[in-house]
Amino acid sequence: MINNDTALMAHLLRRAGFGASRDELEGYLAMGYEGAVDTLLNPTDPGNMPDDLIRRYHVEQSELRDLPGSTAYWMYRMISTACPMEEKIALFWHGLFATGYTKLNQARTQLNQVDMFRRSGLGSFEDLLLELSRDPAMIIWLDNNENHGDNINENYGRELLELFSMGIGNYSEDDIKECARAFTGWTLGNAEYMAIRAAKDSIWPYGRIAWHFDYREDDHDDGEKTFLGETGNFNGEDIIAIIVKQESTARFLATRLFQFFAADEVSKAGENAVEAMVATYFSSGYKISDMLQTLFHSDYFKSGEARFARVKGPVEMVVGAIRMAGNYQNPSLGIEKVSNNMFFMGQGLLRPPTVEGWHEGVEWIDSGALVERVNFVAKELSDVKSPGVRSIIDRLEAGADDGVLNPSDLADGCLDLLGSIQVSDETRSVLVDYAARLGDLDLNGHQPGDQAEQRVGNMLRLVAATREYQLA
Amino acid sequence: MSTQIKSPGIIVDYVKTIGIVNNGFNGRGFANPYDIVVHNDSRIFILNRCDPARAAAIRVGICTLDEEYLGEFGKGFGTGDGQFVWAVAMAMDSQDRIFITDEHSNRVTIYNTDGEYISNWGNSGSGDGELNGPAGIAVDSSGNVFVVDQHNARVQKFTAEGQFIANWGSFGSGEGQLNLPWGAAMDSDDNIYIADWRNDRIQKFTNDGEFLAAFGSTGYGEGQFQRPTGVAVDPEGFIYVADWGNERVQVLSADGSFQLILRGEATISKWASEYLASNPEEKAERDISNLIPELPAHLNTPYHISSQTEPYFWGPVSVSLDREGRLYVTETNRHRFQVYQKR
Repeated sequence: MINNDTALMAHLLRRAGFGASRDELEGYLAMGYEGAVDTLLNPTDPGNMPDDLIRRYHVEQSELRDLPGSTAYWMYRMISTACPMEEKIALFWHGLFATGYTKLNQARTQLNQVDMFRRSGLGSFEDLLLELSRDPAMIIWLDNNENHGDNINENYGRELLELFSMGIGNYSEDDIKECARAFTGWTLGNAEYMAIRAAKDSIWPYGRIAWHFDYREDDHDDGEKTFLGETGNFNGEDIIAIIVKQESTARFLATRLFQFFAADEVSKAGENAVEAMVATYFSSGYKISDMLQTLFHSDYFKSGEARFARVKGPVEMVVGAIRMAGNYQNPSLGIEKVSNNMFFMGQGLLRPPTVEGWHEGVEWIDSGALVERVNFVAKELSDVKSPGVRSIIDRLEAGADDGVLNPSDLADGCLDLLGSIQVSDETRSVLVDYAARLGDLDLNGHQPGDQAEQRVGNMLRLVAATREYQLA
Repeated sequence: MSTQIKSPGIIVDYVKTIGIVNNGFNGRGFANPYDIVVHNDSRIFILNRCDPARAAAIRVGICTLDEEYLGEFGKGFGTGDGQFVWAVAMAMDSQDRIFITDEHSNRVTIYNTDGEYISNWGNSGSGDGELNGPAGIAVDSSGNVFVVDQHNARVQKFTAEGQFIANWGSFGSGEGQLNLPWGAAMDSDDNIYIADWRNDRIQKFTNDGEFLAAFGSTGYGEGQFQRPTGVAVDPEGFIYVADWGNERVQVLSADGSFQLILRGEATISKWASEYLASNPEEKAERDISNLIPELPAHLNTPYHISSQTEPYFWGPVSVSLDREGRLYVTETNRHRFQVYQKR
């Protein structure tokens, strides 16, 4: 029942997006694979729920003082965007350049950082690192506001090299110090007052005051520095220009992109894709979208080996289910609780556990998280009142002979319409056996919420509980 | 910092700021204030919409212009009598009754000015007298209550007891049509003004719903609006508009011509001053900070500027007048209101 082109497109949309309904898939299929990759990597108008509408009904998402409303605000964007890659790349950078609310107490500025990831996340890696170094949330997160010309703080310099670009083993301790010297004076406006407010979690007297970058020339060490074998009166821009030239940077970035967009583990076959991405990194002038284009067009990515080779992260899981169900298309009470669900599954937006971000892959799954994941998705996808589920029911009916589905048709149809999900023979047998308990399903004349529709909802609930649904 | 804003037709002086963020469930300060009414005895009633974390204490706070906090009333979050889910706006009649809309529960709840719950009315729907997202509310000199029925794109006229009298309006952008309307205000002739939110204009109707005029268009310039939320009209006919998306207040003359813009110039309220006095380290750094900074280009939108510039309006959701010619600008994101005085 599963069409190869459709299955490949569904695979692409799980990686470059949050999965896709059949309506969405058909839109991308009409573009062809190459056209779909181009469209995804060149986002134009996301058409997401407008800010004014969100702000009108959700005061907490207008002020963005606390975490629940702030994460819900980003969720709305992910749920309603027509350019899912824009959100996916922002999520990728949020995990790699992990910056946490727990220290900052400043969600508006964190969301400005997310805006920056949308704006620059598919462009030049050099530009992105420059923006990151000027990002006020990152500055407070890694103490660069304490990095002074006469008294350096190495935190940002160290993590820039270790976690954000080259990886450990490719630089010396002296390089870290010289890097830190170059970024002295890179701070935020009213840094001392804002640092006190952040440390105290002060919202007084009139709520939060968002942050912006400020360069203090009189606090910058303009002396000579030697960094990765080059010598000069380097400022931060010069340091980044040197970092992005390194082979280790290209390999670090290609590997991290591969692990987020292709597979949790880099297999021998996957190495070829990584090598190709490294080559593209240099030939394109460090352009991230070109690296991803190389990946998405690679033989590895299109092969069976790459299918379902990643464990869905909680955000992917939750957003994907909501988009599939078609819920939360307008400002609604309860969206904050949904964002809390992701936290209970192990991924709280805007609050990565450490500067290293989240431990991904199989580490997403433990017994508690698995129950949360299955329960959430099962609830979303089994609600036959949801517009996305209603669309699935209508498609099942339209695709059935005389509106009647036998147990195999019901199981295969649900697997297909949830994104061409490929399950093991054993899993499929369980699904078919379950459907067979009540015999053929007659959808003729079905009415909202009737027993026939509930049977579809129950099958979708069961699919959501399969091992394969946990994978992207 | 200017304390006087003027045009050839009108002069407005900044008076003071009242408020402080209230992070709890009662007491001094405000929690996402949404609207204000001022009693003739000078008591100021502030509707606290509250964010979800503090929704259990949705309430009306009461204070004076001298920043004395008098207390609050309300029965918290919910759909029971006297409770609110998404409270929006208030209006007061000559009988000391305060009418409060709830755009989620689709009803109007009435308290008296002593804080006693009286009743509520309103049913969900689109038929005559039924409500779908009641937002702005106003009372005319005869005691009729006008409710902006946002999702039904109309204005409905009721008795104070909720008996349906009339309605008008339909969805659209033509004369007399509405798109997600919000605030409402009466003038001294009992004409009604509606903040036609999604159409970025103010519309003026007679008391019976006859279209009289429309003011404004979409934009950032003088006389243009970005999602106006609130409106008030003084005895001389000057129209005050909460130009919410532009994070400012505009004043128009009676014929709709532009007069002046208020951007906000908040100072330290009495309650804020007391907080800072007890946090000297924070105050010392604040005193040497530039709270009106230059911002990078990507943050130069009214919203971002206001999020970074504490004295400016941020979320100026409603405008209210008292009989002394004072203007009260409610700022939901800053948990305060700024007071101006027309000369």
